[in-house]
Formats: sequence, structure tokens, C-alpha cells
Amino acid sequence: MAFGKFLTKRLLQGAIVIWGVVTVTFGLRAASPGDPVNLIVDPATSPEIREQIREDLGLNEPIYVQYIEYLRDLLVGDFGYSYQSSRDVAALVIERIPATLELALAATVVAIVIAIPLGVISGTRRNEPADYGATLFSLVGISTPNFWLGIMLILVLAVQFGIFPTGQRPVALHDALWTFATTLHAGELLTWVRHITLPAIALGTYFTALITRLTRSGMVDELGKPYVTATEAKGLPEVLIRYKHVLRNTMIPIVTVLGLQLGTLIGGAVITETVFAWPGLGLRLINSIYALDWPLIQGILIFIGVGFVLINIVVDSLYAYLNPRVIEE
Amino acid sequence: MISDRLRSSLKREFRGSLLAKLGLVLAVIIVLMAVFAPVLATHHPGATGQFDENGNSYPPWGVSHDTHMWEEGEEGMERVSYTIEPSAEHYLGTNNIGQDVYSRVLFGARTSLLVGLIGTGIATLVGVPYGLISGYYGGRIDDSLMRAADVMLAFPSLVLAIALIGVFGAGTQLIPDPIVMAGFAEGMPENAVLPGTVTLVVALVNWVWFARVARGEAISIRSEEYVKAARSIGASNTTILTKHVLPNSLTPIIVLATIQVAAIILLESSLSYLGFSGTTLSWGYEIQQGQDYLATAWWIATIPGIAILLAVVSINLLGDWLRDSLDPNIGGEGGV
Repeated sequence: MAFGKFLTKRLLQGAIVIWGVVTVTFGLRAASPGDPVNLIVDPATSPEIREQIREDLGLNEPIYVQYIEYLRDLLVGDFGYSYQSSRDVAALVIERIPATLELALAATVVAIVIAIPLGVISGTRRNEPADYGATLFSLVGISTPNFWLGIMLILVLAVQFGIFPTGQRPVALHDALWTFATTLHAGELLTWVRHITLPAIALGTYFTALITRLTRSGMVDELGKPYVTATEAKGLPEVLIRYKHVLRNTMIPIVTVLGLQLGTLIGGAVITETVFAWPGLGLRLINSIYALDWPLIQGILIFIGVGFVLINIVVDSLYAYLNPRVIEE
Repeated sequence: MISDRLRSSLKREFRGSLLAKLGLVLAVIIVLMAVFAPVLATHHPGATGQFDENGNSYPPWGVSHDTHMWEEGEEGMERVSYTIEPSAEHYLGTNNIGQDVYSRVLFGARTSLLVGLIGTGIATLVGVPYGLISGYYGGRIDDSLMRAADVMLAFPSLVLAIALIGVFGAGTQLIPDPIVMAGFAEGMPENAVLPGTVTLVVALVNWVWFARVARGEAISIRSEEYVKAARSIGASNTTILTKHVLPNSLTPIIVLATIQVAAIILLESSLSYLGFSGTTLSWGYEIQQGQDYLATAWWIATIPGIAILLAVVSINLLGDWLRDSLDPNIGGEGGV
């Protein structure tokens, strides 16, 4: 019962924050200098047509009427049409989601696969060369701007040695997987892997470094606890102790911090997509801001903001479900 | 303000840590680079080594936005490159329009440090009172203040910053440079450039981390005995907040501020890489410019990146040292 109450409260809070997100996106456009009509038509267009466009967009209404109509449109799922391409904003947002998800997932996979073993080794062999190496790596990793790392990867692995392409996404993961499943030809899948490798490393390095750090300090804390001595006394193999018992207890703070860092992941994806011309939501956001394509900017910002709020609610609820003490606070 | 126990803990950690010393040395070098950029530079950061028919530098010195040069070619206007390899004249080579990379990296340090330090300062001044009030009063006040903060947190810093600068444009302010004014650096720019809009925006997207940390501190401090005692002798809320709650929550705020300088320097470099900083004298901008010339001039994009890396490493090392000495549990986007 307590959990139901917690969830209701959390959903209500989420609704208020989403209203705030929507209001911010409206406020940004309302506060921006410049006449949106100039962004849609040639400045030399006749005053009659300009007036017609203002009327169609509702720009002649008082600001509070515009705000209410904006909210009403959003409630029925009407995000408007792009100034540049005249296409439906919702479609423009949705078609770019898979590319960004692929990138974020690939970066997370890179991070977890490298960081967890590295952190465990570093934490269990303190002050040995492996530990120094891992510590140095994580220090440099959290301090490197990801866009510069991406460019350096392009410089060395793409331009100098030609091992990987410099960017772009010739094939979508789901299409490559479909081809593989139906024809057993792995060519498209390999193309996808070749193209996503450098962007995933560029985006994932910060998180690899961060998780290595967290795993190391978590291991160090946990290894000092009495239950470890007890399992050792029982004669359990060291590998089992480290990876099954100690690592599991270390995971809770790691998951918590990663939840907090979701913003860094999305922000990082925006700039990584720019470096590698990866056709995701971030690249579209940057281009829509260069062009001041308001409906599109608003649509992408709302999608990111609302997605963020919803993911946080899911994470919090999972956390509260697994760990009922959280609800008491 | 710093107790003796704290001071001795800071000293002990510093002596024992090679990394803390390295961080301090690097930080001092970068600050000196930024302050004495006009003296250390070998070329005017805008000078291209190209001149028009009247003998004036071309394109005009300063913070011009089109930093590619164009010439009439066989198929209309073509982009040309005046890149010079690293040499005795140009220690780190020149960029595509012939500007000295070494000198520009020195001046770029100013942009990074100004935005990092002033941005963190503003974020602290806004976020700390906000969080203290929210945590101290609790209840409805806390609820509404924290919902507003949640709205800020719903957008990744970089995304919100891009949107704000994209909308309002990136303004810059010129600050007269005392070293050049005093005549110590002939022929160098008379003004330092402060990217004002960027500084405000990075503060605006990062104050919320200070609010969260300050709020957490205020919540735990408000139930301490000495606060109850102060209240019982009739101290006002303002007095309790400024005399008791604020001083006792400074430790984690200082550590957070250190880490945030690094996070903001990274954020500024990302913004200028995307062309939103308003000045071309910025490490991130230099990297963006060099990306088109990777095959022929690797140094344009490589060198400024190393500068960012060293600056952020040094601040993170100082942050680790402070955290190990003071040991609060805090984090924040862009730095843990």
C-alpha cells in the first residue's frame, strides 16, 4: 500500500515538472527576439501573405492565449510543423530516436564491459601497477572532452590508418538485424558495427572512467567488511567472492550515480552525433537551433525533458520497490 | 573560517599525494598562461600573416566569425588554407588561416578560466541561498522550490545551454587588459574577451547542483542542537541561516565548486566547438576549425584539446585532494 501512495505522489510531481518543461519551451520561443515569419518565408514576401502566416500561427493573439493554445495542441499530440521542411514535428523527432538510442546503448555497453572488470581488478589489487594504470586511465577519461576524443579517434583510426569510417550511419541496427535474421548475411551488421565503434568509444569513455572509479572505491569499501572475511573463512573461491558477493553490493551506488548521469549521456550524445555526423536527435537539435526552427526545437526539447522525467520516475519506483526504506523518508 | 583541524588535514593529504602536487603545479601553470598570455604569446592571436592591397592584416584581426578564407578559383570561390607546420617561427604551427596556434592556445586559456571561474561563482551565489532556504524551511516552500529545480534538471546542461544561446545569441564583453595597457606587450590585443552570455548560461544550467547540495546540508543542520539553542534564545531565521547553517555547510560546497569549475570548462569548450561561444579565442572553437584539416594539419585540433585535458585534469586532481581531506559525499553532472 505504501508503495502505491509513493508512486501516486511521484507521478503527480512528475506531472508538475512536465508542465514546467513545456512552459520553459514555450517561454524560450516567446522570449526569443526576431519575427518567426522571416524564418518561414522570404523577407521580400508581400505584407498580405506575411499577415496571413501570422494569423495562421496565432501570433496576433495575446501571449496568454498563445500559451493556452500551445498547451491544448500538445495535449492532443499536435507538435506543429517544421518551419524548414513543413513536416510534422512528431515524425521528425520519432524518426531520429533509433539512431540516438543505438549510440547511447553502444556507449553504455562499452563502458560496462570495460569498467566493471577494470574496477574490480583495481580495487582488489590496490597500489599495484594494474591499480595505478586503472586510476590514471579513469582520471584522464573523466577529464577528456568527448568531442575532442572523437576527433582524435578519427585522426588516428580513420584518417591515418583507415580502419574505421569517419562517421555516418549507412544502415540502422534493426534493419541490419532483420537482414541477418532472414538471410544470415552479416555484412550489414558488420557495417553497422564499423560505423558505431568510434562514436561509441568517444561517448562511452567518460562513463567507462566514471564506472571504473565507482567500482574501485566500492570494492575497497566492501572488501573491508566482515562478511567478506566470513566467506573467505568458509573457503569460497576468491573469484566467486569478488564477482558474486562483493560486486553485487557495489552495484547499488553505481546504478544510482549512473541514473544521475543520464543527462551527461544525452548531452554527450548531442555533441558526439555532431562530430561523427551520426543522424540522431542531437544532430537534429543542433541544426534546428542553427536555423531557429522553433516547432522542431520545442518538440525535441519536450521529448528529451519528458523522457528524462519518466525515466527518473521508473528508476525511483524500482529503487523504492526494491528498497522500501526509501519510502519512509 | 578554515579550522586548524581542517588545515592540518589538507596539509597531510597534500604531502602524501603526488597527484595533488601535480594538480597544483598544472593549475598554477595554466593560470599563469592565462594571465600573462600577451607577454608569452609570439604573435597577435588574430594575425593571419596575410595582408590586403593596403597592407592591412587580412582578414581583419579580432573575433570574426567566418574563419575560412576564400579565393576565386577555377570553379568559383574555393576554400584556401594558409596552414604552416610547427617551426621555430610558429612553435605549434598555424591554423587554416595562418594564425599562430601557440599564441591562440594561450589566449584561449583566458576564455576557459574566465567562464569557468565566473560561471561557478554565479552558480554558487544563486544555488546556495536557494538550497539553504529550501532545506531550512522545508514543507511547502521546499516542495515548490525543488519542483522548479527539477524542471532545470529535466534538461541536460549542454542541451539547455545550447537552446538558450541559440535563442539569445552569444554576446561578448571586452575588458581592458592591464598588462597590455601598461605597455608590457607591444602589438597585442588591448582587450581581453569575456563571453558574457556563455558565462551566464553555464551558471544558469549548473546552479541547481549547488542548490541540491546546500539543501541536503540545511536539512541535516536544521535539527542540530546548536540550531535549536539559537532558536530558543530568539535568533531570527535569517541569523540562523547566515551564522549557523551557511558556515557549517561550506565544506561540501567548496568541493562541489572545485569540480564544477572543471565541468563548466568542459561545457564551455563543447559550446564553442558547436560555434555558440561568441568568440573564436577559445579552445573548443579551435578544435572545430581543425576538424576539417585533420588529414593535412593534425595540430590545429590536437593541441587545444590537450590544453583542455590538462586544465580539467588539474582541477579534478585538486578536487580529489579537497574531497579526500574533507570527505563529503557529493556529486553532480559532469563531475563525480
